[in-house]
Amino acid sequence: MVKLGTSVENTWCLGCGNFGILNAFKKAIIELEEKGISQNNILIASGIGCSAKIFDYLNLSGIYSLHGRDLATIEGIQFANPNLKTITFSGDGNAMGEGLTHLLFAAKRNADVTIIMHNNGVYALTTGQYTPITERGWKGPSTPKGSVEEPFNAISLVLEAGATFVARSYTAKIQHLTDMMVQAIEHKGFSFLEVLQPCVSYNNTYKLYNEIVEELDDIPKSIEEAKLYAKNKDKLFIGIFYRTEKPTFCELLYGDHNPVEKRQYRDERINKIKKILNIE
Amino acid sequence: MDDYMSLIKGGHNFSVVSTSTRWISSHYMKADLIVNLDKRSYDNHIDHLSEGGLMVYNSDIKGDMDGIGISLTSEAKKFPNPNLMLGVGAIAILGATIGVNKTELNALIKNEYSKGVKENISYANIIYDIVYPIIGGKFQLEGGSKKRPNILGNQAIALGAIAGGLDCYYAYPMTPATSILHYLAAIADDFGLAVIHPENEIAVINMAIGSTFTGARTMVGSSGGGFSLLAEGISLGGIIESPVLIVLSMRPGPATGVPTYTEQGDLNFALNAGHGEFLRIVASPGTIEEAFFLTAQMLDLVWKFQTPGILLTEKHLSESSITVDINLNDTIWAEPLLHKDGEYKRYFDTEDGISPLLFPPAKEILKWNSYEHDEFGFTTEDPRWIKRMHNKRNKKFKSLENYLRKKKTINIFGDKGPIIITYGSTVMSVLEALKYGNIEARVVQPIFLSPLPIWELEKFKDQEVIVIEQSAIGQFANLLKENMNIQLKKVIKQYDGRPFDPIKLSKKIKDVA
Repeated sequence: MVKLGTSVENTWCLGCGNFGILNAFKKAIIELEEKGISQNNILIASGIGCSAKIFDYLNLSGIYSLHGRDLATIEGIQFANPNLKTITFSGDGNAMGEGLTHLLFAAKRNADVTIIMHNNGVYALTTGQYTPITERGWKGPSTPKGSVEEPFNAISLVLEAGATFVARSYTAKIQHLTDMMVQAIEHKGFSFLEVLQPCVSYNNTYKLYNEIVEELDDIPKSIEEAKLYAKNKDKLFIGIFYRTEKPTFCELLYGDHNPVEKRQYRDERINKIKKILNIE
Repeated sequence: MDDYMSLIKGGHNFSVVSTSTRWISSHYMKADLIVNLDKRSYDNHIDHLSEGGLMVYNSDIKGDMDGIGISLTSEAKKFPNPNLMLGVGAIAILGATIGVNKTELNALIKNEYSKGVKENISYANIIYDIVYPIIGGKFQLEGGSKKRPNILGNQAIALGAIAGGLDCYYAYPMTPATSILHYLAAIADDFGLAVIHPENEIAVINMAIGSTFTGARTMVGSSGGGFSLLAEGISLGGIIESPVLIVLSMRPGPATGVPTYTEQGDLNFALNAGHGEFLRIVASPGTIEEAFFLTAQMLDLVWKFQTPGILLTEKHLSESSITVDINLNDTIWAEPLLHKDGEYKRYFDTEDGISPLLFPPAKEILKWNSYEHDEFGFTTEDPRWIKRMHNKRNKKFKSLENYLRKKKTINIFGDKGPIIITYGSTVMSVLEALKYGNIEARVVQPIFLSPLPIWELEKFKDQEVIVIEQSAIGQFANLLKENMNIQLKKVIKQYDGRPFDPIKLSKKIKDVA
């Protein structure tokens, strides 16, 4: 096995929740390798933000994309070669702000990709502005009087959009997080994994999360029930909220075809075009 | 040439068919036969009738009209969808006039219509029988000895891309590029393509770039408004060195502009799309036949030079159809430079700036990075790497120029007379205008606009030239002035959304030449 870490200088703050995600992900990759999924087949993307820096810290292939566009990028990899295991890392600002359309549509079409959403409730790399899922009243540099917007609930939104695997975990529970990552990546179809990630510099939630995070006993029986658990603010539930089997976008669009692995070569194409144009 | 309004029902829409025993490159608005379905058409086109031409009008419509009245509507009312049938009546009238027999007419309708074939054939035959005794064979055309395909500009672009190796096409509908999406979607399964219409143009370009990462030859298409949204991703393509091909089919802007008409107003935007400094390859086909080959060649070039390329065209080329003589075996097949062995560095700093590619799954690490990066693709803020990577990417300007110097980058038609420089579909209008007006001139068409083939254009430096383009501010003339010493005698511009008419254009050329 190839070393999963890189020699790139890590610039996350000391105590950043992202370290938990990095460590859990490395463990998940090792577990997946043991289950027969080669690292060579695992492709990653990331948006832009503190979360996205994970791209440089992982010795895996992929694209360090634009802010909010990582889901579209990873979908493009998947659609061209559906045999690849495709995962993207995105912050809550990245996924739910600039990238919201892509998130909802990736869920809607059940693209066979996994998004790991680092939820620290803040735009950290741009110094602490409120995100689309920050609670109302957040005083940041762009909202000095306190934000006046109501937040989205991420899990509720992606469930409504059609996600077929929806889970939440917490960076301080490495084993739980590893397990959720493995299941999300193994799932065929769109997997959304929200990770509660304290930001030690702008939104330090360790103490709060340690008090109110609680594992779900079972997978909720319906989407409606899942939403209730997801929206609960007294307790932050972690675990699988929803899981179902549905054909993926590529399966519905072109069955078991693979555009790059089964591409037609020149002569075959030219002959077919001659037929279309009715020329010798 | 099809002229239609941005609506689904009603309005004034028309098609112009021009034919000749010699090669013609443009429609003519002056017509020997005009078939009007309503009074508005009659009023709009009365001045287009040539001397000795026939005006056929719908005699069921009230109003003061001269010519041959045919009861198109009352005959159609014998069928279930009378309003949808009138067009096929016009085809029957055209067929009868030019000597198409009923068997040929019926075969044509069967070929063209997916539903209502029986009704359309019956109706067409009724109309044919009414008009034939009056004007049958009036403009009898002799059939040629060779069968040639008649193709739409966008069909040429789509098929050219497939012939060049296309695997994935992404687009959000936008006139006049939409028919590329429709056409490719319809034939996707036959060629094993992924043809995908996602949520917006931003998804389009990012998905496309993702697909190029896997080795898939990938194209996207839009018009000005959608292209604005693609611009963010074009910049991404610049730094991560993604070989993505973009079709920009221009319509009059700014903003929504005039959706179903033509213009060349986005030239500057195409040349500069995306923030930051990087190589953008821009080329524009002068004819529909050239559109076929150039699309394949552009696909090859973006893969060879790993940078975004733009095939710049217009509504006039995209949505006009023409009979072509085409040798498919001349098509270029897109081939990138591949990594062979040894340590792999995605952004290996080679002499020509082109780093060999590898595709997943691979045991080597392939990192494409939107941040400035080192040779392995890891993010960097090191001043030495920032400078070195700028230099590495910018070597491709020279590499591409050296490569293109050995290729055809310019068309020159004619060898005597005044010099006319033009580009894109305007070339078709200019060539036809010269033939119509019997004007001797040299028409110079740069196929490539970035890089502009100065090495070829130099022959014309310090000379008087006429520039012809469909832009209100003369963007193409300005581009030429910025890049070479020329004396602009006159810039002939048209920017009313309509393509040049060869008769009017020939007068304008004669006035200045």
